[in-house]
Amino acid sequence: MTLLADATTTILPLRLYATLPLWPLLGALLVGLLVVLRRKASATHWPVVLGVAASATLAIVLFLDLPKSTTNAALQEHWKSGVSASQRAGELYAVFTGGASRAPALTYTLYNWISLGDQSSLCNQHWLAVNFYFDGLTAVMLLFVTVVSTIIVVYSIGYMRDHHGQPERGYERFFAFLGLFVFSMATLVLSGNFILLYLGWELVGLCSYLLIGFYYPRPAAAAAAKKAFIVNRIGDFGFALGIFTLYWFLTAGADPLVQHGENPLDYATVFKYVGALEPWQITTVALLLMCGALGKSAQFPLHVWLPDAMEGPTPVSALIHAATMVTAGIYMIARCTPIFGASPLALNVILVLGLLGAVLTATMAAAQYDMKRILAYSTISQLAFMFVGLGCRVPDSAVFHVFTHAWFKALLFLGAGSVMHALSGVIDLRRFSGLRDVLPQTCRTMLIGCLALAGFPLLSGFWSKDELVHAAFERHPVAGLILLATAGLTAYYTFRMFFLCFHGELRLPDDAAQPHEAPLVMIVPLWLLTLGAIFAGYLGVTFAAGGESFLGFIRPHGLLHDYLHDSTIGTPEHGHGGLWLMYVSALVALGGIGLAWARFGQAPETDPDARALGGLWRLWHAKYYFDEIYDYAFVRPLRNLGRVFSATDDYGLDGVIWLVAAVPRSLSFLLHFLQRGALQGYALGMVVGVAVLLLLWNLIGV
Amino acid sequence: MPTLLIAILTLGAVGLFLALPGGRADTRRVGWVVLAAAGAVLLALLLQLVPGADPRGLFAGFALVAVFAALRVITHRKPVYSALYFILLIFAVTGLLVLLEATFLSMALVIIYAGAILVTYVFVIMLAQQSRPAPYDVKSREPVWGCLAGFLLLILLARQIELFLVPAQRTPLPAPVAEAAGTIEAVGVPLLTEYVVAIQIIGLLLLAALVGAIAIARRRATPRVESEGDE
Amino acid sequence: MLLPYLLLGAILFVLGLIGFVTRRNLIIMFLCTEMMFQGIILNLVAFGRYPLKGAPTFDGQVFALFLIAVAAAEAALALALVVLLYRYQGTLDANAYRMLKDE
Repeated sequence: MTLLADATTTILPLRLYATLPLWPLLGALLVGLLVVLRRKASATHWPVVLGVAASATLAIVLFLDLPKSTTNAALQEHWKSGVSASQRAGELYAVFTGGASRAPALTYTLYNWISLGDQSSLCNQHWLAVNFYFDGLTAVMLLFVTVVSTIIVVYSIGYMRDHHGQPERGYERFFAFLGLFVFSMATLVLSGNFILLYLGWELVGLCSYLLIGFYYPRPAAAAAAKKAFIVNRIGDFGFALGIFTLYWFLTAGADPLVQHGENPLDYATVFKYVGALEPWQITTVALLLMCGALGKSAQFPLHVWLPDAMEGPTPVSALIHAATMVTAGIYMIARCTPIFGASPLALNVILVLGLLGAVLTATMAAAQYDMKRILAYSTISQLAFMFVGLGCRVPDSAVFHVFTHAWFKALLFLGAGSVMHALSGVIDLRRFSGLRDVLPQTCRTMLIGCLALAGFPLLSGFWSKDELVHAAFERHPVAGLILLATAGLTAYYTFRMFFLCFHGELRLPDDAAQPHEAPLVMIVPLWLLTLGAIFAGYLGVTFAAGGESFLGFIRPHGLLHDYLHDSTIGTPEHGHGGLWLMYVSALVALGGIGLAWARFGQAPETDPDARALGGLWRLWHAKYYFDEIYDYAFVRPLRNLGRVFSATDDYGLDGVIWLVAAVPRSLSFLLHFLQRGALQGYALGMVVGVAVLLLLWNLIGV
Repeated sequence: MPTLLIAILTLGAVGLFLALPGGRADTRRVGWVVLAAAGAVLLALLLQLVPGADPRGLFAGFALVAVFAALRVITHRKPVYSALYFILLIFAVTGLLVLLEATFLSMALVIIYAGAILVTYVFVIMLAQQSRPAPYDVKSREPVWGCLAGFLLLILLARQIELFLVPAQRTPLPAPVAEAAGTIEAVGVPLLTEYVVAIQIIGLLLLAALVGAIAIARRRATPRVESEGDE
Repeated sequence: MLLPYLLLGAILFVLGLIGFVTRRNLIIMFLCTEMMFQGIILNLVAFGRYPLKGAPTFDGQVFALFLIAVAAAEAALALALVVLLYRYQGTLDANAYRMLKDE
């Protein structure tokens, strides 16, 4: 165990926390074992449920156990001081690890994995280690990742069964994948170096592929899985390049930055030396890393895979595509704050892409009928909000929004799953309405979730979203206005979906036999998530009566922020004041909900927006034709190129090979008669051959 | 000397051709006489080459037994007897190895060959035993060509060995060293130091052979119709 | 002293070869390959004992040991195949298995 500086350590040994990712993996392996032992499928969820629950327990304990700092003064000084950005990043780290006040980061090295050799002929001292990094960011991420995962896994027990309670086909496989996924995500979050981060990153992508394609006999599911994988691959390529260039910049040259005994891709090393790089180097690395985040977090222009990913089972949508995996991009950028913070260009790109993505996907969400797709676009839009936050140098607010978003978005997805479960898989809002009496529990929990997503005051989404809007206003009024408008739009499309689903007169699709409320094992997780949707936000605010408080008793910036400031994020500079903005955004949210009530309160069978907006609505409904544009711009040219290559291979290369092969074959045809199948004849031939050779040697050689 | 050797070996070839299974009993007897004559001359020739008095007799005896046993292995019409003569051959070779001071190897040879491999052969021969001599044991296949090619090779080899050894023979042969005896230690140390990789590979090979043998032997072969393929 | 051993080894080798070529019983054929091994073992050990240069070494004996191991592996596989073939056609005649050739 390595302690940096003189930090106080955790009460329980770090070794225990380092086992956190392994429990779900163990669960997944046990499921495999149960399958081999041919146990009944209906009980195979237990190992994974227990494994993920063990992880969640550990994460909660870790969250409470992590040594806390008492003062952020030193860091804040450095953020505010006038030194250049790159210097600041480097010094930030120096303060952060070597400062006398505290050193919140703990590293636990499991083992040295790959020796990197050495630049200057000394013994091998550079390693890629398998090490885990514990700081506030890790703790916050793990907290919601594992707890939400546990809830979703429990929900899946009910969801992955038919109406008679019999497990679906592939039930064991599903749970094994879930366990594997939680393992991957926890590895990603816990990793202490970029290579392990990349490993977790790719594992998460793999699990996403496996789970989106869970219903692989359905062509749409298989295509969606492929699409997700390939689009992610584009981003991951950039991410890998970013890691490579980072390594190169840190170790290249006669006098490399990295000293002996320091592992060049460990966070500790990277953030220590990143300030010493040239600005263009930092910007290159930051932009390349950002590509990875764009892919994994489904941001414009790589957002196209997420809506299609809804082909997977709904718990997967909730788990991967709302609560955890897509947050990896946000996490990575927040983790690399020392890098991104030193590159204004990268931050601006992130900001602009975030704003664009937020608006585009929110408008797309307003014109869809598939509940899960609406939620998917809303997820992208919310992630774009977080990107804006990252671009505005407030990664702590972005992570706070990740935290709150995980709860209510998981809740919304699971609620949609409950609707789907009740209606035998129908999810098209045009085909049903008025379900509030049929599914009372689902309706109530969904209402809370929708309110949280819409940013209704005092629910969790409100606090975090407001921080982001606030930061955007600080950065630039236009950015702030765009976000505020998008927030209103979010409230509108969220409640459009809610009203279309639960309000109006009861209409049911013909093929839904008997709609029924979900079993208890699904309802309880919904209510647990509802609690999260209501109260998760209060981890990020403090109760303080006084003039500068919202409604007179709540002030932004709470426990969660303290945690996050004890991490590589450091303490960003938050503007003060702007309390009026909270009231404004509350009004905007209420306005959006009200507008939705006015237009969709009775769940009309024809969409009033389609008529009112005309061409614009059609553009939204067709998702701005992104899929078609990509198809024409990239997919088809590439496919044609592939055809050309394939033809070259089939006719050009294979033709040559065929020719080369044809000559000996025709020659061998002449000698065919010698093959008679008699083993001994061949042996005799060999003897004669050796004898002739010897004879020749005798005659010529000697 | 080369012409003499060639003559002897040609004689041996003729004898072997006559003695191989397939002909009548009396031709085989003639073959054996020819072979015995060739062998005697060859032995005398070999003994001439062996300097010193002591190992000469032993070498001659073991060599004689070895060649006789080898001839019987390839000429006997009953497989079981072939196997038993092979054991005799092993013992003769063992004696020769002892003369070469390879004591450990000689014991290993007896244990592994006579003890293990040959027993397996005998088992399989018993398994495939038929009441009367099988037609394929009674008649050999292309004995003319086989003997011709074989002895041509032998002559060439002998000539090659002789040519090759002429310069070496001029230098004095290394005297037997006291510690040159091939004890377990003497063989084992290079085996486990210098050739340790080879011994691992051999282990792998044996494992593969074991697995392969089990996999092959367990397979159920569907018997073919008798009329097909049988001569 | 080397020459007689080499000649004897060559004789054993060639006798095994002739047996392999002329005998039709599969088991005898494999026995003959073992006989060829005996000739080679004799050669190797003799070369180790009477090297052309320098003091005697044990390398020849080590190689002979490897050869025995290979022979054991070969015997195991070959006999398993023979048993299988015998079950398949009820004969050990090598000529009976000519259908293995490429038609």
